Amino acid sequence: MKILRGTPASPGLAIGSAHTIRPAPPVDIIARRTTDASEETARLEQAIAQAITRMETLQSAAQGATADILAAQREMMDDPELKQGAIDLIEEGFKAEAAITRVATSYAEQLASLPDEYLSARAADVQEASRRIVAELQGVTLTVQLDHTAILVAQDLAPAETVGLNPSLLQAIVTETGSATGHLAIVAQGLGIPAVVGVTDALFQVTEGATLIVDGDQGTVTIDPDQESRAKIEQRLMASLQEKKDLEIYRDRPGTTADGVHIEVFANIGSLAEAQKAVEMGAEGVGLFRTEFLAAQGLPTEEAQYTIYKDVASALQRPLIIRTFDIGGDKPIPGLDIPPEANPFLGWRGIRLALDRPEEVFLPQIRAILRAGATHDVRIILPMIVAPDEVELARTLTEQALQELEKQGQPARRVPIGIMVETPAAAVTLDQFRGLIDFASIGTNDLVQYTYAVDRTNSHVRDRARPLGIATLRLIAQICRAGIPVAVCGKLAGDIEAIPLLVGLGVRELSVPPPRVPVVKRVLAEKTLGEMEKLAKQAIKEY
Amino acid sequence: MEEQTLERTVTLGSKSGLHARPAAIFVQTAREFQSQITVAKNDKSVNGKSILSILTLGAKQGDQVVLKVNGNDAQTAVKKLATLLEEDLG
Repeated sequence: MKILRGTPASPGLAIGSAHTIRPAPPVDIIARRTTDASEETARLEQAIAQAITRMETLQSAAQGATADILAAQREMMDDPELKQGAIDLIEEGFKAEAAITRVATSYAEQLASLPDEYLSARAADVQEASRRIVAELQGVTLTVQLDHTAILVAQDLAPAETVGLNPSLLQAIVTETGSATGHLAIVAQGLGIPAVVGVTDALFQVTEGATLIVDGDQGTVTIDPDQESRAKIEQRLMASLQEKKDLEIYRDRPGTTADGVHIEVFANIGSLAEAQKAVEMGAEGVGLFRTEFLAAQGLPTEEAQYTIYKDVASALQRPLIIRTFDIGGDKPIPGLDIPPEANPFLGWRGIRLALDRPEEVFLPQIRAILRAGATHDVRIILPMIVAPDEVELARTLTEQALQELEKQGQPARRVPIGIMVETPAAAVTLDQFRGLIDFASIGTNDLVQYTYAVDRTNSHVRDRARPLGIATLRLIAQICRAGIPVAVCGKLAGDIEAIPLLVGLGVRELSVPPPRVPVVKRVLAEKTLGEMEKLAKQAIKEY
Repeated sequence: MEEQTLERTVTLGSKSGLHARPAAIFVQTAREFQSQITVAKNDKSVNGKSILSILTLGAKQGDQVVLKVNGNDAQTAVKKLATLLEEDLG
């Protein structure tokens, strides 16, 4: 038995056998073949055919923007010039792996040098297509697919690599890199799958098929657990199963306090799979659809976005609040050149970037949302707002987009617009936004970070931030007095201790990861509104 | 049918120019024909059945490209492919 430690990224407990995904070694681009040319060419052709078949399977499981990317990559694998170029190099004496990598790199360089940002971003697709062909040549599996229940152990998982995963077979995720707030953590939380990230050496320590216990609360991975640990785990699994069952009664009822005041319990999502999970967990709507995940491979087109928003809204059949791209220097987007910044959290991100580059970032997204609004209850929420004039500009652009759509004969509808309150500036002046916005949602993670001047990714200062400190609570109290409906969609919304305080201060909607929805409803039902107000009053120490 | 070479100059209709999707549709259609197909912009001429080559043209909406088709099914090919290039494929 051996215990590895990492960062807890998604809560829960799992016991199962490990499925390891080992990264392909770098390709030696000067490697010479040891076989004759025709044999090496045959190897290459077979690898290309296999890579294409595998890609087609992946494509059938993908949706929206990811599906488009995979389609482009598949087409590239099938490119006659790519193949011929590689065959020529094989004739010259190169190994198939080296030949295909060289040709692909040359195309990638040509594409990268084009002035069109979209086309230059396709360079990454050629590299990926070639990487997949090389994987076939070397007999390494890149596509993460499960045909039996397992715990995935990988160096890291890219968004495209999680597409083909069947959530019902995936027991837990362990990765060597990654952070508690990274993409993988959010995906795992959304699907309710335990995850531990940042487990250095995991792939070195864990052999394929080994029995593992993953504790997503503690951040530990136990390899080959002994009898005693197993028994303990089984017991805890039974208990959590029972808890899940107990929570089922909350699924189909709306969130209410003990005295029957309705508090909406919404879900935070980032994908269609999570939208389905939200419905399954009894969310009354989606309070935060993080669209930046759709841009992991470059900004999706209006059409691709429209399809996704419509699909997600149809799956929900309840309100869907879409946050416009919250991107910036800390999350590079292929094809979108944002200069490196010393302080990306104080930099050119969120609405700032969107409004400065409307044709590229803001308008395609707004048009897609307005079009989805023709048939579904969708709403817009703007990130990183600090002043009303930003909303005025966003509104003007939205009106223009609406008129243009009407002129083009595209069905569209004006939708409610709200803002994220995640800066102290917006928090203390929210009353100034009256008449401009239909609702506000507090992003507590950022609000706490900006209030306490604490970078939440810096482990030296992380603990100095006080999510439930008086400063946070007083800001929330002030936000709630602005006369605008207020929601909370940050981490605090799902915190058992925080929920009564938030509601007591005046918050009327809580938006949390889908698996958390029933828990929030249970906590709400434990106290009356009056009791929560009293607790809140004590907590902010204003008498 | 006899082998012939046909050439046509067309103006690109797709909003996004020859981006991945329009390029993929073009290439897939081109492959339905036996004829040799090239697409040229300015002085650069590339294989019309290769998506990578087409993408490296960096062609935008309104750009003029020369479509050249050589083979037994050139007549049908040139007609169908020219129409595709002129249409807005998104």
